Amino acid sequence: MLARCARCQGTFTTDTYGVQTCPHCGSEILLAAPAGQAPPPVTPPATPPGGPPPWSGANGAPPGELPPSPPPPPYGPPGGFGGPPGGPPGGPPGGRDGLAAPFAERGQRGFFATFFQTWKLVAVQPSDFFARVRVDQSGSAVLFGVIATAVGMALSSLYNLLTMGGSTEALQQAMGGMNAQQRQFMEMYLQFLQGGAITKALVGQLVLSPLVAFIGIYLVAGVVHLLLLLFRGAPRGFDATLTVVGYAAGLGIVLAVPVCGSLVAMVWGLVVLIIGLGEAQRCGAGKAAAAVLLPGVLACVCCCGLLGLGVGALVEGAKQLGAGGGGATNL
Amino acid sequence: MGAGATARRFGHPEVFAAIAALSFLVARFAPVLALPYVCPAKGLFGIPCATCGMTHAFVALAHGDLVAALQSSPLGAVLAGGAWGYALFDGLRLALGRSFPAIPAGALRAATLAGAAALLANWAWLLAHQA
Repeated sequence: MLARCARCQGTFTTDTYGVQTCPHCGSEILLAAPAGQAPPPVTPPATPPGGPPPWSGANGAPPGELPPSPPPPPYGPPGGFGGPPGGPPGGPPGGRDGLAAPFAERGQRGFFATFFQTWKLVAVQPSDFFARVRVDQSGSAVLFGVIATAVGMALSSLYNLLTMGGSTEALQQAMGGMNAQQRQFMEMYLQFLQGGAITKALVGQLVLSPLVAFIGIYLVAGVVHLLLLLFRGAPRGFDATLTVVGYAAGLGIVLAVPVCGSLVAMVWGLVVLIIGLGEAQRCGAGKAAAAVLLPGVLACVCCCGLLGLGVGALVEGAKQLGAGGGGATNL
Repeated sequence: MGAGATARRFGHPEVFAAIAALSFLVARFAPVLALPYVCPAKGLFGIPCATCGMTHAFVALAHGDLVAALQSSPLGAVLAGGAWGYALFDGLRLALGRSFPAIPAGALRAATLAGAAALLANWAWLLAHQA
């Protein structure tokens, strides 16, 4: 029969089920026997008391990587490609049937090591990670997302603070080629910049970023979960949704990348969120995409994030100047 | 979410209640309307988006001005009232040691649909009155 290594995706032929060694990469993989056929006895490897921690490298994968999943059974029945891991759709909602995320074991295995292991799994192997992660430990997921997003936002704020002088200078230079009206508006904007309001706002963002991240994760999870319920795509409950949103928010650390960080974080985060919800809620990518993108479309129209903050204010300010009067800010 | 009684003392319903209570404190005491923010839809195209005016509605209602809140955004006023009412209810429930009431998934689905319809209706109202 034909088997595929979950790590390198290479295929090879074998005559037996059970633990195999991939001839391509040398990983040990477990080839599960089809239903109704008893697997050969497998001698368990020597493990420390309590067993090896999942994703610790003792399951046939290097530290920080998922243990290789059983390869898909040979083409065709019995079983075909089967249902998603962890049971059939609508399986037990308790969520205790998966593996604990590395970050959920930070007490035993160290904070930074588990943080980066988890981040790598979420970012690079979201499908495998969310298919198997336990969903009854949403507290760890929220903490992970809050820390990553807060660090990303804080570093982004610091970068903005440091480059504000350069931005002001560039604006002053650009004002040379503007007409009187535009120059008047830009002078007003510069006064705002130099008056310290922006600095206060950035410092506020720096201080409040953990709270903002925490609230954001819960609100996004709440809205997405309601939409999943609407599409009948939330059989594993709110904890599963919150777990996915929390870990996906870990990509918020990419916000620290200057210039393009927010765009990369948003796109990458959306992709991970859709894949993760499809796997963790066992609802498929279609329903997950619908639930995630519906509010996303609304958010794009309504907020456009920081981009809108700048562009909208500039456009509205220019219009108000053109009309020769002030107007109420509409929030 | 909230579908089923929970034995936890401070679980997800309480987190949402805390966020709702915090929104009241921010709307009542923080100078949120002083932030230099303009809705991009309104700034670029001159038309309000579906959620325009919600901050004004929250702030107005937090200061007891129901008419101004409804004029800013009817849905915002309802949302603010609902969120603060929920925070109050959950605080009382917690104080009395009661478990969170079970909410059938069908009721949550119906509420979500109603919310989506209300959002569209609110947008139509804003377009008619503010565009």
